Amino acid sequence: MAHQAAPGAGTRLFHPGFEGHSQISARTLGFWLYMLSDALLFTALFAAYAVLDTPMNAAGGPIASQIVNPIEGFWQTIAILASVTCYSLATVAMKNGNRAGTALGIIAAMVLAVVFLAFGFNDLATLTAHGNGLGRSGYLSAYFVLILTHAVHMLIGILWMLVMLVQIPRYGFNEMVVARMLNLRMFWQFQATVWVCVYIYVYMIGA
Amino acid sequence: MAGSHSDPLAHPEVRQGGALRYIAGFISTVALMGAAMVVTLRHDLAYSSFVELVGGLAFLALLSQAVLYYGLDISRSQIWKSVSLILTVPLFIITVGLTVWMFQSLDQRTMLMPTTLQQPTLLQ
Repeated sequence: MAHQAAPGAGTRLFHPGFEGHSQISARTLGFWLYMLSDALLFTALFAAYAVLDTPMNAAGGPIASQIVNPIEGFWQTIAILASVTCYSLATVAMKNGNRAGTALGIIAAMVLAVVFLAFGFNDLATLTAHGNGLGRSGYLSAYFVLILTHAVHMLIGILWMLVMLVQIPRYGFNEMVVARMLNLRMFWQFQATVWVCVYIYVYMIGA
Repeated sequence: MAGSHSDPLAHPEVRQGGALRYIAGFISTVALMGAAMVVTLRHDLAYSSFVELVGGLAFLALLSQAVLYYGLDISRSQIWKSVSLILTVPLFIITVGLTVWMFQSLDQRTMLMPTTLQQPTLLQ
């Protein structure tokens, strides 16, 4: 066995400048673990939705088959997947050092995300206008909270993209900016993953 | 974890992105969701068969996203993401499965309601 110095007062367990460490890898793995915990939040909301998705919990109000439209949901699905693809393509442009291409991909992703949110908010506003708002029944509470939680994530993602549109021309593709772009890519792809679950569970099985 | 790089754009997680892969992820997910929508609109399957088929299509869509969007694999730069996801997926299933099971039991024992109010849902 090779001789190893015993740990002492001078021993450093972690050194940020050590060449074996990768700041980008550490940041992306940490953010990935955060996203898995965020996924558990959605899991709890899906569990609540599953429990409250019964005529009794609709309390005389509408049930899923009366408020969701699989065809309209499909347009939303295309919008969010196109948004995710545009952002992912922006990171391909980043890989090639193309700042203009990166910005263009981010802007396209933002526009498509706004289209997605417009569909969703229009649905919720229409329901509320007809007296079927958040507090109408247990079922509608679960429905609104699930949809709105996802929408809030989308809004945070759009805000994050705006920040990146400022940081890329200001700092260039340095280590921090690249790590943030990669984390945002995971975050944005995660929104599409959650939406697939929402679309299948609420818009299809509910229909 | 991969080692450090003086050029951040040379990092493996930056280099792994590819336009064709992302476009394939978009097309495959849209196609699978489109197939699920057609199945839903046709209404010609029994409820249990319908749930199994649509659930299977959703699983394929999620698998497609994991591989084509997230780029999960067993490479050195991605292995711990893949492992952590595999370890977390049972938690998703346990959370939803146990909650539905518990409330199904509760529903059957305490929520006696007229047959006319009953319709097929996962809880029933």
